[in-house]
Amino acid sequence: METVELYNSQEQIVLDDLSEPVKTGTTIMAVQYKGGIVIGADSRTTSGALIVNRVTDKLTPVADKIFSLRSGSAADTQEIAAIVRYYLNILSTEQGKPPTVKMAANLFRQFCYVYKNYLLASIICAGYDETDGPSIYSIPLGGAIIKQPYAIGGSGSTYLYGYCDANFKEDMTKEECVSFVTNAVGLAIARDGSSGGIIRYAIIDSDGVERHTIYGDQVKNYFK
Amino acid sequence: MSIYEYNGSALIAMAGKECVAIASDTRFGVRNQTVWREAQKIFQINNKTFLGLGGLNTDIWTLKETFRFHHNLYALREERDMSPKVFANLVSHVLYSHRFGPYFVSPIVCGLDDDNVPFLCGTDEIGAQEITHDFIATGTAVESLMGVCETFYKENLEPEDLFETISQCLLAGVDRDCLSGWGAVVHVLTKDGITTRKLKMRQD
Repeated sequence: METVELYNSQEQIVLDDLSEPVKTGTTIMAVQYKGGIVIGADSRTTSGALIVNRVTDKLTPVADKIFSLRSGSAADTQEIAAIVRYYLNILSTEQGKPPTVKMAANLFRQFCYVYKNYLLASIICAGYDETDGPSIYSIPLGGAIIKQPYAIGGSGSTYLYGYCDANFKEDMTKEECVSFVTNAVGLAIARDGSSGGIIRYAIIDSDGVERHTIYGDQVKNYFK
Repeated sequence: MSIYEYNGSALIAMAGKECVAIASDTRFGVRNQTVWREAQKIFQINNKTFLGLGGLNTDIWTLKETFRFHHNLYALREERDMSPKVFANLVSHVLYSHRFGPYFVSPIVCGLDDDNVPFLCGTDEIGAQEITHDFIATGTAVESLMGVCETFYKENLEPEDLFETISQCLLAGVDRDCLSGWGAVVHVLTKDGITTRKLKMRQD
């Protein structure tokens, strides 16, 4: 993995913290409900222990109704998302219809697999298209692709496996799904040092995309 | 990640008009995971002296007992408490005696001496003292904390104003650090007594 190091004129490394690659050590999740998808993420980007951005937007659109949730190296995932967005744009112009989530996910997978030795990227590709309806694909570190009814990722997701196993239901309503996602991200923020800030979430369905934010004081606090 | 960033901490001590305040976060974490939100990092040594310890938690817990032991024996023999300056010298001595296998801590000694003049002293992990008249900051967010303290500090603050200032400085500093936060406590020490308050803050 590439590391940028800042040297001064005496060839000594300065600013150790800022020489560390900027990571979105993070909490991301995407959950399918009846008729659509809710995606959510925290908003913290770190470089070592320093919080470089506390209001990051990790919900990156690659097409009108297809989003990628990024975790791993900030630079790697931003670049891959931009390239995928470029290809999806061309493909949808050629085909004359909006791109499918399967197409977007496979483009992500192609990059992450072929360049697996150079990249640190773990991505969830989620969205809505007319062919398959709501779909969620997980593309973890090596470049595998897995279609799932819900997906969690990032360093904060380790704290959510039990919660999600216990609380996920197929065919939830939109409100139940929003609650599930925002509670889960809130729980991960409470325990994971690399996750924090605000909770950004979006609801994607056949009508389009609605974006929302839950600010710090409104994040549900499970502790007294 | 260095050994000083294994647990994470943030501490500030500030001097006011015949008073001192010391504040810390209360997170006990292991690398990125937060295990406990009510850990103690500031220890009262006697009526006029506080010790704050940042750095590796196991060394914090061992050292606070070591210092309590030494102070109590001194108090029994001398039939008087240690003044903050003497306590700071004790801290330096204990830490330097482990010069080549140090405790991974950054202590702050703060208190009021016999004339109720504020005393602030920070040391590095091997006991080098830095005695200041305004503030000392330490922890994983030390650069941020120093910056905020430098900006907001004023001389001769009354206890209530000192509490406000030190609280805002701590909160601003830790909010940019992954490894500290999850609760904060502030002690204000005046000649009349000690006031302890917990701060309500972001739990992320």
